Order: sequence, then structure tokens, then C-alpha cells
Amino acid sequence: MELNDGNLQTLTEYLQKTLSPDPAVRRPAEKFLESVEGTQNYSILLLTVLEKSQNEVIRVCAAVTFKNYIKRNWRVVEDEPNKISDPDRTAIKANIVNLMLSSPEQIQKQLSDAISIIGREDFPQKWPDLLTEMVTRFQSGDFHIINGILRTAHSLFKRYRHEFKSNELWSEIKLVLDTFAQPLTELFKATIDLCQTHATDINALKVLFSSLTLISKLFYSLNFQDLPEFFEDNMETWMTNFHNLLTLDNKLLQTDDEEEAGLLELLKSQICDNAALYAQKYDEEFQPYLPRFVTAIWNLLVTTGQEVKYDLLVSNAIQFLASVCERPHYKHLFEDQNVLTSICEKVIVPNMEFRSADEEAFEDNSEEYIIRDLEGSDIDTRRRAACDLVRGLCKFFEGPVTGIFSGYVSSMLTEYAKNPGVNWKHKDAAIYLVTSLASKAQTQKHGITQANELVNLSEFFVNHILVDLKSPNVNEFPVLKADAIKYVMTFRSQLPKEQLLETVPLLVAHLQAESIVQHTYAAHALERLFTMRGANNTTLITPTEMAPFTEQLLNNLFKSLAIPGSSENEYIMKAIMRSFSLLQEAIVPYIPTLIGQLTHKLLLVSKNPSKPHFNHYLFESLCLSIRITCKANPDTVNSFEEALFPVFTEILQNDVQEFVPYVFQVMSLLLEIHTSSIPSSYMALFPHLLQPALWERTGNIPPLVRLLQAYLEKGAATIASAAADKIPGLLGVFQKLIASKANDHQGFYLLNSIVEHMPPDSITQYRKQIFILLFQRLQSSKTTKFVKSFLVFINLYCVKYGAIALQEIFDSIQPKMFGMVVEKIIIPEVQKVSGQVEKKICAVGITKILTECPAMMDTEYTKLWSPLLQALIGLFELPEDDSIPDDEHFIDIEDTPGYQTAFSQLAFAGKKEHDPIGDAVSNPKILLAQSLHKLSTACPGRVPSMLSTSLPAEALQYLQGYLQAATVQLV
Amino acid sequence: MPTENLSDKRMSKFKNKGKEPTKMRDRRIAECVELRKAHKVEGIMKRRNISSVGDEEPLSPEYNTDNKQVISEAIQEIVANVNNECPEKQRQGCQAARKLLSRERNPPLKEIVEAGLLTRFVEFLGRNDDPTLQFEAAWSLTNVASGTSWHTQQVVEHGAVPAFIALLASPMLNISEQAVGYLRNLTWTLSNLCRNKNPFPRFSAVQQMLPSIIQLLHHSDKSILSDACWAISYLTDGPNERIDVVIKTGVLPRLVELLGFEELAVVTPALRSIGNIVSGSDLQTQAAIDAGVLSALPLLMRHPKSSVQKEAAWAVSNIAAGPCQQIQQLITCGLLAPLVDLLRNGDFKTQREAVWAVTNYTSGGTVDQVVHLVKCGALEAILNLLQAKDAKTVLVILDAINNIFLAAEKLGEVDKLCLLVEEVGGLDRIEFLQNHENNAVYRAAQALIEKYFSEDGDDQCLTTEATDSNFVFGASDVQKRFDF
Repeated sequence: MELNDGNLQTLTEYLQKTLSPDPAVRRPAEKFLESVEGTQNYSILLLTVLEKSQNEVIRVCAAVTFKNYIKRNWRVVEDEPNKISDPDRTAIKANIVNLMLSSPEQIQKQLSDAISIIGREDFPQKWPDLLTEMVTRFQSGDFHIINGILRTAHSLFKRYRHEFKSNELWSEIKLVLDTFAQPLTELFKATIDLCQTHATDINALKVLFSSLTLISKLFYSLNFQDLPEFFEDNMETWMTNFHNLLTLDNKLLQTDDEEEAGLLELLKSQICDNAALYAQKYDEEFQPYLPRFVTAIWNLLVTTGQEVKYDLLVSNAIQFLASVCERPHYKHLFEDQNVLTSICEKVIVPNMEFRSADEEAFEDNSEEYIIRDLEGSDIDTRRRAACDLVRGLCKFFEGPVTGIFSGYVSSMLTEYAKNPGVNWKHKDAAIYLVTSLASKAQTQKHGITQANELVNLSEFFVNHILVDLKSPNVNEFPVLKADAIKYVMTFRSQLPKEQLLETVPLLVAHLQAESIVQHTYAAHALERLFTMRGANNTTLITPTEMAPFTEQLLNNLFKSLAIPGSSENEYIMKAIMRSFSLLQEAIVPYIPTLIGQLTHKLLLVSKNPSKPHFNHYLFESLCLSIRITCKANPDTVNSFEEALFPVFTEILQNDVQEFVPYVFQVMSLLLEIHTSSIPSSYMALFPHLLQPALWERTGNIPPLVRLLQAYLEKGAATIASAAADKIPGLLGVFQKLIASKANDHQGFYLLNSIVEHMPPDSITQYRKQIFILLFQRLQSSKTTKFVKSFLVFINLYCVKYGAIALQEIFDSIQPKMFGMVVEKIIIPEVQKVSGQVEKKICAVGITKILTECPAMMDTEYTKLWSPLLQALIGLFELPEDDSIPDDEHFIDIEDTPGYQTAFSQLAFAGKKEHDPIGDAVSNPKILLAQSLHKLSTACPGRVPSMLSTSLPAEALQYLQGYLQAATVQLV
Repeated sequence: MPTENLSDKRMSKFKNKGKEPTKMRDRRIAECVELRKAHKVEGIMKRRNISSVGDEEPLSPEYNTDNKQVISEAIQEIVANVNNECPEKQRQGCQAARKLLSRERNPPLKEIVEAGLLTRFVEFLGRNDDPTLQFEAAWSLTNVASGTSWHTQQVVEHGAVPAFIALLASPMLNISEQAVGYLRNLTWTLSNLCRNKNPFPRFSAVQQMLPSIIQLLHHSDKSILSDACWAISYLTDGPNERIDVVIKTGVLPRLVELLGFEELAVVTPALRSIGNIVSGSDLQTQAAIDAGVLSALPLLMRHPKSSVQKEAAWAVSNIAAGPCQQIQQLITCGLLAPLVDLLRNGDFKTQREAVWAVTNYTSGGTVDQVVHLVKCGALEAILNLLQAKDAKTVLVILDAINNIFLAAEKLGEVDKLCLLVEEVGGLDRIEFLQNHENNAVYRAAQALIEKYFSEDGDDQCLTTEATDSNFVFGASDVQKRFDF
């Protein structure tokens, strides 16, 4: 591609087309450009258009196209062709810095990005003159150029902040320092001087302050890995200037904007970060400067306003103080009572105030407010920073700080009492202060777990919290009500039980509040109280204690779901679930009404499921209703089915993907409750459950397998008689599942249920096929998980159909197959089987093979008899072998091409572990002893001789133990 | 590890989960690129030219020039004098060489070597009849040996080691007024001869010097002790075979004793030597433990100088990388409390070493030992350090947290640990690290969150994409033969 006018013209035209809103024009143009980008000179043409075009839009378009081209192609990947020719690379590197610097800002940013992409690959070895070229420009005196250089340097160097130390990295940094540190320092000083000169020129100041901010960022990157010799030597210059800048105020640079941080804030914020870096990492060298910075930053905080634009600066500044004050050798900076008082009064208290922005969020954006306030996503807020500072100060000054704050708390409460309508925010701040002062350790599950002993939480509760909770008008001062509820929630582990019990009915009343935050907190608080544990591992609050409030609680919870904005409130639904679970049979009388409401809700949300947590707890609540009611009276299962099946049918028919797995779980629960044969309503659904489409969704597989297992348990006979034509389809599901390394265990669950429950005749014709499939999978991709499941299955089969049947079916597939499986699979792998029931099945199965299978005694399989017995004894006695071959470790990930909906398991739809052998065998060791005894009496002399010739002494010793325990002797 | 016996293999397979114990230990890394100023104490070691022996006039200007011509002429004159048969001329030549080599800037070390003077100087070392000549030659050689490793090597190659050792027996060192001064210089020379790593000093040379160094380690002069200790620290800063040679001299009890000295100049190199030794094999570490190092370390971990704290923490981190019996000894000897103190209050470099100690401990310790460490407050302390501005430290901490969780899994106490981590604010910090710019850090944080802190974590069931098949049951092609 030659560099001529024709080509430039063509390129311009295509670039123009890529801006077209019409995809029919745009896409072909994009395709074309991509198809020619491999040709030599393409990038040079692009840069020429960028430089020479008269059309501003085309220039920007060329810049963006160029950057994306660099992003895609610059890196040379090993074993792949070099996508940009070497002359082009050289030409690009030779021109790009100049080009960037002479371009308007919009283009400059694109090119700066491109330079850092190239730099990431080529700098420093393959682009040795980049740095010097950049440094030279510092002398240009043109701050448009200088800022371009600084921005580029920042994007090149910022990775030093997070990469691991390595020789390569440090060599690069050293090189950068050698070339860059001195000029950067000169530039820093010169820029500060210029700020003096142009102190009244707002436009000049703006540019200069962006330079200073960038320089401060570069300082941070260059000093991050370790303290460079250069900066140690020049610490005086940098720190003195940083300190001056921190204390500097320039009216001209103050902005009117309340939200967006101005240049001054950005610069000071970065300086706080720089100081924090030095304080943390280079303490020894930084010590002489630290006190000055503490004072400056503290003064900064005292003089900074409440506007949102200062938030980052303030929270960075407070975090700096918080990190310094808990270091032993700086504690003297804070220990003076006056200092502590000032910090408390001027830094902490003001930053805990409820601001108008908070008030807006409380009213209009309650969801976000709750997430921030309740779930702690407030990591960079002022309140959070202030709390951290309180905790930091408490490390050494818990007594004095508590004393100072107690004074503030009471004065704020007095203010409030004078005129609550006007001064309610004072009480809010007081409560917040008490909370932050008292909390030493906290978890979601238990609230505060460790509290400041100097704060009397109970007394504060009685004097200030209870009043608000008891207030007859639930809708007055919603923020204070929410604070009070949150107080109970937060300190629930600290408050005595009587006080908690006292609040329960009050919280129930607050469920009726109009404020979303308020009733949400009430629901959440109740939910948390209900999960508290009392003595002997029961709930702290008992159903009996709840009896007087049960009706009101349930009523209000359901009514609060009708308040605008809370129709799918997950906290309320979770509280409903938790109330059911706590109250147990006490809810039975209300269920007939409630189930209608829950079903109605389900019908509504199934139109458009949008709140996964709400929906999950809704299904959990349904499960609880069913379990609790049917436990008292199993016959009521029919009425649940009557209520639920219409909605379920609609969900299944409309294929509401999010809900289908839940529906299967609830249906499994219902079906498992049935004691007689399977109802016809279920049988009608059976063919549909085998539809391939359902099985294609990952989330459906576990609940569907469980549902089919329930069908087999309750209705195997019905299936065999009335739906025998569906058996191949059922086995087809098994076949599909075992083909997958991730789902094969589910396939085995199904197969085990089939073998356990289906009448033998009904599956006779398929047995051989089943084994062939299993052998094929074993041959093609054997994994530990598969082998474990396989072992359990064949032993279950052996238990059910007998050892002879097992041996015969194996040998009918291929001669000597049985011996091969015993030798290559059972003996070496049985040790890996895990789970009590699974091990028991294997033990009983192997015992049968050893003692009820003539082929093991009389054919060439005989040589396997002793090793198999030894493996069985190993299964009894040795620890489980949980080693997995190396290449299997990542199987789950490798075999997952697309991540689909996760299966959401319902805790309250839980299934008990099933033991197909049950009480028939209580101790497999005794069974082995007895079975060997029986075998030895059938062929006297043989068993003892086989044992004595080939069983190792240790195994023999264990065996003697079993024989003794069973009081039998071998003959 | 020199030998690969069974227990070592077992260790790298299970205990340290694939990390070679040697790798876990030897973190004094080959990374020699430094951004910082060379450390002050070590800086003194590098160049300490012997310029004024006794009271002499300051160097004349002619010796302080960088003019090649002048220097070359001066060297020619030295060569002539030194090769002269007259003892007086020889003494003059040596003295001139020594002065030339003592200048602060750019001493012409290479030029002296290239002028072939070393052979003659070494020869003079043996001139018992002329002590002045002997010592002038010695100081010249010393100044050359204090250069780069090439210079040191040149001195050794010329057979200076046995000559220096012989010189230590010189009557001058007992009778002269300057005896102590001479002995200090000679000790310093020996330490220089031991110093370099690329290449290491020859084994035979080390063997020759060791007895003298050990003897000097018992001297009462602090400066001599210091340099002798530095010599040991250089000799132990290498592969395990080199450490072995030092241990075999039986020096360990003395080194441990020196750890208790007040003088920083002695404690620092003694501690460095011990640190090097415990970074060796398990047996070598055990030898140091048997010599009582664990009773000396707690005091050093509470030393007022943070550089000493750091070195002590480094030693502990290497002992913690050993088998659980050695970890048990850390517990018995009361090292956990000072370790946790360092994690809480040490300066950053010390905290970093202490973090390594925790990670090594938790990856090699038994479940009980890990529980004990957590009870001592180490978990809370490392969780606080997750705010450290150093990606590697953060990653190492996440590793330790993971190890502690593995122990909790074995005890069935994961939930309890989760609560503990959350209580002390650790969960917030780990969650925050999911935004870390460093990929390894963010992945490690994410893995912890997913595995232990995500409510739905256990419900996820990954699987393959389903095919469009009809689920028709039946094996397609029956394989000819199954063979497992």
C-alpha cells in the first residue's frame, strides 16, 4: 500500500463510512479496513490521515482506529506471524510522540493510549529513546505538551503500583529513575514557581494544577515498589512542596460544582495518598516529616466543607490519620487531650452527620441506601472513614475518646430534645457515633460480637432507642426510627434477652411503616433476631414466647408486601421464611390463608422474575408451609397440590426458566410425602419430564434427577405397568447424563434408583445395554468420580440381583470381563469410594462376590479371591484414598464451555440420605465374617488355606477380629 | 537440597503443596537490582580503604588525580621499586602503591593488577625479616581485595590466602603497638576475601581461612568480631554445601552467643549468618536450633533497631518453612508472641518478613499448630496487613489465609473461621481486593470469597452443554474389546 493521494483518499472514504449509523454501510467498511490492516504502510497511511486531514471528525476517527489497530496487533505472540512489519513499527515509534504532542486533546488521549500499549511491549529495550525524547519536552515550556508527556508517562508507569517485584521490573524502574527522576523534580519545582507567577490567572492555574496532579501521580508510581535512592536524597524538596500544596488554598480554583471534585481536591487527595504510602512503607525515612503532615491533613479536614465533591479527599485524608494513629511510635501525636478533642469535634463528628444527599437517598433511592448502610458497601464514604478513625483512636485512647464522645452524644441529644422536629439529625449523628464507638467486631450473621465496655449499650437502648420504637406514630421521623431498629439489629448479641423480647412487638408494628427503609429494617431485624441461638443450640426466641404476636407478625409481614415499592422486597420475604421456620406448627392454622397469598405472589412474579433473592425465599417459604403442615397431617399434601399445581403448570408451560428448577424441587418434596401409590396427576406429567429440551439446561438437572428418583421410589410399579414404553426414554436420560464428566454422578443416581425400585422384569431387556454403555465410558474417559460411582452401582446391582447375575452379565458381554473388572477396577480403586452408605454398599457387594459366586472359587478368577478380600479389608480399615490424578483436577472447568444458570438448591426442600441396604445389614464386617463362615462350611478346608497362603499378616489379623466379633470360626 | 531422600519428596508433595522447600526458603533471592541506597551497615563493608597506618601526612595531590598519564607513570615507578633488590626501594614501592590504592575516588585497582604487582606483594607477605615491608604489601593487597569480585579473585589466585594466614602468626601482631589495628585490618581483609558470590571463593581457600576466622571470632575487640562475623555471613550466603563447611567448624554456639552482644556491628552480621544457616537444609536448621538460636531470637525480634527485627523475622520465616517438628520448637521457645507483635507494629520491611513466616508456618504446620498460631492473634494481624501497598505481600497473606482455611476444613470449623475473619474486618478487605489491579491478587481474593464466603457457593453445578439428541437409549457401536 503506497503512501499516495489515491490511497489516502480511499482510506478517508472508508473511515467516513465506519461512522455511518446504517449497519449496511458501516459493517462492510469496518470489514474492509480490517482486511487491509495487515498490509505494509497501512498504519502510516492512517497516521497521515490523522495528521493531515482537514476534517476534524475524520482525524478523531483515524486516531481511534489507529489505537484499536495497535491494541489488536502490536503484541508479537510466540509462534504467530508478526502482524506489523518492522519498518512500520520503527516509523510509528519515530513519529508518534511528536504527533501526539501536536494534536488537540481528544486525539492526544487516543495516541497517548496507543503509546502506552506500545510501551508495554517495547519499553525500554526496543524503544530506548522514548524516555529521553519525553524528558526533552519538559523543557518546551508549553504545558499542553508537558501534560501530554506526563499523561503518557503516567499510563506507562502506573503498573509499578501493582506488579510483583522482579529483576526485570526493577531494572526498568531503575532506568526510568535515572532518566526521569531529576527532570521530573525540576519540573515539579518549576511548576510550583509558575503557580506563584500566575497566581491570578485562572486559565494558567488550571493547566499548572493538572500538571501538579499528574506529577504527584507519577511520584506515587515511581516510589511504590521501594524508596528510590534519588527520592530519598530529594525527600526534602518533595515533601516540603507537598506539604505546602496541602495547606494551599486558592479562591480561583474553588469550583461551584457540588458533586464533581475540582483540581485542588484532586491534587490534595493524591498528596494524601503519597503521604500515606511513605508513612506505611518508608516509616524510618519519613518520620521527620510525618508530624507536619498529620497537622496539615488534620487542618485540611477541619476546613473542608460537606459537599460531595470533597468526599474522596476527606475520606483519603481521614484514612491517612486512621492508619497513623494506631502505630505505637506516633501515638504521642494524638495523646494530648486537646488534640483528641479537636479531632473528635472537628473531624469525626462533622463527617458523621446525615447530609442532604443521604436524606435524598433515604427517601428516593431506598434500595441503594439499604445496600450501603446495611451491607457495608460504604467502603469509601465519609462515615465509614470516620468510623475507621474512631476505631484506630480507640486502640490507644479508648477511655479518653469514649469520654469525649459521651459529652458530644449527650449534647447532641439535648439539642434534639429541645426541638425534635428541627434537630432530629443531631440524634441520628448521636446514634451513629455510639454505634461506631461501641463496635469492635461485627458480622452479618451475629451483628456486633465484641463491644466497647465503656459504652453502656443497654442503658442507651432504654433511654434513647426504645422511645423511638415505642412512638405511637410509626411514620414520624422515619430516619430515627430506622436508626433505632438498626441499633437493635446491630447490638442484638449485646442486649439482654428481655429487651429483645420487648422490641419484638414494636418491630412488628414498624413493619407497617410507610418508609421503605424503615419497614425493610424492621423485617430484617426480626429475621436476624429469629436466627439467634440460645442455650442448647435452639433458637433464642422460642415459638412459645412468640405466641402472643404470631398472628400480628404474619399479618404485618404479608401486609408490608403490599406497601408501594416493597412488593418484591427480599428482606420481607426472608423474614417470612424465617418466621415460618421458627414458629413451626404454630403457623399451621394460618397456612390455608397464607398459602393463597404466597401462590398469588408466585403467579405475579412468574410473569417477570426480577428479584432472584425474593423468589428464592418465596419458594423456601412454600417448602416450609408444606413440610410443617404435612408433618402434622400428611393428608393435607393434596390441598397443597390443588393450590400449587395450577401455578406450576403455568410456569412449566410458559417455561419460566428461573423458576422451573424450583418447581421440580417443590414437586419432589410433595411427591415424597405421599405414602400410597403415585397420584395420576404426577403420572400425566411423567412423559414431559423426559423431554430433551428440559435437560439441556444445567440448572434443571439436579432437581429433575431428584424428581425422577421420587417417581421411581413411589411409582416404579405404576411406571412398569402403565408407562413401560417410557422406560427407554428414562434410560436415555441416564445415558445422556453419564456421557458428561460433570453430570455422570447424576446419571448414576438415576440408575441406582432404577435398579433399586423397578421390578426386575421390566428392565431385564436393557441390562446388558446399560453395562455396555458404562464400559464404553470407562474405556474412553475414565475419571475418579466416574469410577467411584461405577463401583457403587455394580455393587448395588450385586446386592440386588446377586453375585452370579453380575458375573454372568459381565462375561456375556466379553469373555473374562468379570475378572478384568475385579482386577483392574474393583481391587485397585475401591479404596477411593467415599461416603458411609456408598462404602457399605461396596462392602456388602464385595462380600457377596467373595462368598456367593462359584466362579471366584473354581475358575481362573480364583487368583483374585485373596486380593479382593484384602481390598475389602482395606476398605474397612485404611483411611480413604482421596488422591486424584493430576490431570483430573480441573475437569469441571475444562468441560464447561458455557456457564449456564446455576442450580439454586432450596434448603427447606432438603432430602434425607437414602440407604438402600438399610437395617438388613447393620455391620458389614460381621456380614463378611458370617458369609466366609458359610462359605467355609460349604467347602471345608479351602478358605483357611487360601487365607494362610496369600493374605498378608496384617489383613489376616483384622479378619480374625471380625470372626471373633461374629463368634464364628472358619473350617 | 543436596540429597533427595524420601521424606523430602513427601514434603514437597504434601506438606508444601508442590512448593520446593528450598524455594520457599531461599528468598534472599538473586534479585540484585536495588532501587534503595545501599544499606548503611553493608555500605561500610564495601570500601574502607586503608590509608593512614599510624600517623602519616595526607595524600599528596599527585595521587589524587584522574590523569591517566600521571597514574601510569606512578605505577611504572612502583613496579621499578618493587622489583628492585634493595629493601628500602621495595618498602618505598609498596608504600606508594598502598597510598595510590587508598584514594577515595577511582583507585587504580585494575592498573595495579595488570602491572603484575600482585605476585610480588604476595611474596613480600612472607618476608618475616622485614615486618614493615610485610604489612605495606598486606595493605596494598587488602585495598585491591576490597574491590569487585574480579579484584578479590585476582588476589586469591595469586596465592594470597595462605600468605595472609601465615601473617596472622607474625610476632608483630603480639608485640607491636599497632597490633590491634593490624589485626583489625587483616580480619577485614579476610572478610573481603570471603565476600563475593560470582563466583564464590574457592573451596580450598575457604578451608584455609576458616580456622583463623573462627579464632578471630573469639577475640575481644568488637571491630575484629564484627568483621569475622561478616566473613562467616558471606561464607554462609550460598548453597548448602558451603553452609555445611561452616557448621562443621562448630562455630554455631559462638554465633548464638554473639547474637546476645550489645554492639549492633556484631549482632547484625551474626544474625545474618544465622539467617543464612537456617535457610539451608532441615538438618542445618536443626543444628542452629540445637545451638540455642531460638532462645536468642525473641530478644532480637524486640530489638530497638528495625533492621535487626527484620533480619530476625527473616530467620524465623525460614525456620517456619521447615518440618512441623521445627515449627513446634518455634512454639515451645515462645517465638509466636514476638512474631505477632512484629506483624502488628513492625516497620513495613519487618512486617513483610513476618508475613512470610506466617505463610510458611501455615503451609507446613499441623492443624493444631495452625490453630495455635491463630489463637496467638496472627490471623487478625495479617488481615490488617491486607491494606499493604505491596502486591506480593498481599498475595502471600492471601496464601496464608487459604492455608488457615484448609486447616479449618479439616476441623470442620470453616464457618467459625469465616465469622472470625469477618469480625475483624478481613472479609471487607478481601472483598475489596477483588478490585486489585494485579491479576494474581484479584484471582486469589476472588477464589477465597467464592470458596468460603459466597452463600450460593455450594449450589453451583457446572456441566457440559447438552446435545440435541433425543435420549434414545442404547449403545451405538459396541466396541470390539474392552480393556481397562
